Amino acid sequence: MVFAWKSAGLSYNRYLAVASRVVRRSLKDDKRIAAERRGESDLRFAKWSNGKQGEVKNLNEANAAAATEAAGAPSA
Amino acid sequence: MNTFRVARAALRARPAALRMPLQRRTYADAAPDKIKLSLALPHQSIFQSQDVVQVNIPAESGEMGVLANHVPSIEQLKPGLIEVIEDGGSSKQFFLSGGFAVVQPNSVMSINAVEGYAVEDFSADAVRSQITEAQKIANGSGSEQDIAEAKIELEVLESLQSVLK
Repeated sequence: MVFAWKSAGLSYNRYLAVASRVVRRSLKDDKRIAAERRGESDLRFAKWSNGKQGEVKNLNEANAAAATEAAGAPSA
Repeated sequence: MNTFRVARAALRARPAALRMPLQRRTYADAAPDKIKLSLALPHQSIFQSQDVVQVNIPAESGEMGVLANHVPSIEQLKPGLIEVIEDGGSSKQFFLSGGFAVVQPNSVMSINAVEGYAVEDFSADAVRSQITEAQKIANGSGSEQDIAEAKIELEVLESLQSVLK
């Protein structure tokens, strides 16, 4: 069985993240505010090559860019 | 003569001793009709190897109910309702965002999911407004990724809405 999200180039990890985000948003207000904080993450990374630090990037933005690229070229 | 009498007494005593264990209800007799359930989220564990009677799960291969002594299996879960039937017939319902259920050989079951809440914690209004929003994106002309994500959201929301009705 081929999943729709898979043929669109999304990973299972991304699929779960989207599904969980929407579950958190559907909660009643008091629970939602506490739960939505769990979906937030902020991480920066840089690639080092030849002893020099490369550009510092935001992990979420880099992941989103990679996912858009993957969506353009569906993998088997 | 004396030893003979002792032996006869022992013979007479034994059947009573053999009957004894059958009258007692031991753990080994009681356990097999229960399944040990662990339901864990990354931030919370809802059940911790607790004895329950039955667990109904929405697997990708179809809805299924798991009782004790189930065949060992690994099932991918759809976003949907799991129902845990506890001792005495009371049941608890949780909506999980998707994950995996593993049934181990000795009536042990573990379910892992990213988010899971009791049904009464959801707001029908929030679900309804998100459905119209996701439908707009899914039928719009956004990037392929946005449309795919909106379709995932719709799948989850429609499942939630059918549960809340």
